[in-house]
Amino acid sequence: MARMKFLCDTERCIECNGCVTACKNEHEVPWGIQRRRVVTINDGVIGQEKSMSVACMHCSDAPCMAVCPVDVFYRTEDGVVLHDKDACIGCGYCFYACPFGAPQFPQTGTFGQRGKMDKCTFCAGGPEADGSDAEFEKYGKNRLAEGKLPLCAEMCSTKALLAGDGTALADIFRERVVRRGGSGAEMIGWNTAYGGGEQKRQQTRGGDK
Amino acid sequence: MCAHLIVTLRAVLLAAVLGLGWIAAPAVAAGEQPGNNADVYRAVRDGTAQSITFTAPADRMLIQSEGQTWRQWRNGPITQIGGWVLAGVFVALVLFRLIRGKIKLEGPPTGRLIQRFTTAERMTHWTVALSFTLLALTGLTLLFGKHVVIPLIGYSAFSWLAALAKNVHNFVGPLFFVATLVMAAMFARDNVWQAIDALWIRKAGGLLSGEHVPSWRFNFGEKTWFWIGVVCLGLLVGITGLVLDFPGYGQIRQDMQLAHILHASGALVFMALSLGHIYIGSIGMEGALESMKTGYVDETWAKEHHEYWYREAKNAGTAAPAAPTAARPSAAH
Repeated sequence: MARMKFLCDTERCIECNGCVTACKNEHEVPWGIQRRRVVTINDGVIGQEKSMSVACMHCSDAPCMAVCPVDVFYRTEDGVVLHDKDACIGCGYCFYACPFGAPQFPQTGTFGQRGKMDKCTFCAGGPEADGSDAEFEKYGKNRLAEGKLPLCAEMCSTKALLAGDGTALADIFRERVVRRGGSGAEMIGWNTAYGGGEQKRQQTRGGDK
Repeated sequence: MCAHLIVTLRAVLLAAVLGLGWIAAPAVAAGEQPGNNADVYRAVRDGTAQSITFTAPADRMLIQSEGQTWRQWRNGPITQIGGWVLAGVFVALVLFRLIRGKIKLEGPPTGRLIQRFTTAERMTHWTVALSFTLLALTGLTLLFGKHVVIPLIGYSAFSWLAALAKNVHNFVGPLFFVATLVMAAMFARDNVWQAIDALWIRKAGGLLSGEHVPSWRFNFGEKTWFWIGVVCLGLLVGITGLVLDFPGYGQIRQDMQLAHILHASGALVFMALSLGHIYIGSIGMEGALESMKTGYVDETWAKEHHEYWYREAKNAGTAAPAAPTAARPSAAH
């Protein structure tokens, strides 16, 4: 089975925000919520700008899943982290825990009234029947069930943002790195999301589930 | 000035609490290699704000490392140690009950009553007590429900219960905070430490020996509960609770993580202490519950438990009419 991952190649991202727009349009994401965003590091510093599109990274050891008090998160066979909006109580704990700022809420009201959490689904919908209206209403399109990859990556004009099986992405990226030189250490986010040595150390220390 | 103070305080507290879980960035080959951005990406983890074309509701960061620290605190010590502390205090109280039994009046009741709490004091106390109980139960549901309640009633039913718990918690919280402030102001004067408290400390309150230690209106045990529990922990959980409950006033995720760590650990200590207070104020001691229910205590109770206060009250003439039947209706309204 594939292990779905996102990869954003910072040498290619031109901060066009096409991925953000594609995502919002495809899923009819509620007003005020952006499942994907483009962050620019060293903005305005000539020669040092790096842009990167970031959304839910569908972590192997997902912090949202670990801290959710009602256990709404689940992982599909493809390694995609999804959640059940019907059971979500809007406590905001996933928002505190997520390193990538993926979980968002439609309301920011007083008395903690946030509404149901919304985040990137890797275009894989939710617990409802694949392609159903109920699924679309809550989570947007289920492209994976139709055999398609996430639209943000499919639409990326410079092919900076890649989505798909981690092995295939790593091969593509390795080839790019070899062609242009460099160490490949810029695969930022992967260590955090998919566990390097650092994460393993933290897990043995933390002792949580 | 105020904003500057908050920023400084935030930095200090974050460094103190979240810094404990700081993990050094992984060593990556850097230096002068062309096309190697390792330094840039290491800097990403220091929490610097970055540029985002659209203003996303999330903070202007690529990766917030503090989330992992918050997760470790919440799922680790707060859940685990907190749970064991509560269970430990409960067991200790059961043992105390078995060894010491109910603390009864030694002398016969005189039938003459003295007013111990005014109506305003009692209404404030019960507002605090009721809201505290609701907050404790709903808070525990949100912290331990996943491990304890889901296996019992299932995922869907628990989701409904947790949504109720969250909303009750968020709406009752501010009431608790206000009522606690009022109660702290009401009882502060009589909880100031007095010379006689040294005797109480020396004799450990006579809790195990059964000896009665004289005191003014409140003894050192009550004062400790007042200052550490009501005032310190009440303010701590109250203020951090407001930070979490009203997220639209400029607090960022890291503030809320810190507020949550302080809120949850403070609340667990608060609950552990409250078990002692609730026990001794209800089934643990004869006459204690009546004093907060009706506002009146028997002279024998006053003399045995708060001898100095009894003499003072007697002289001041706050004694109620002799017959209990005459006093109770007036206190009940």
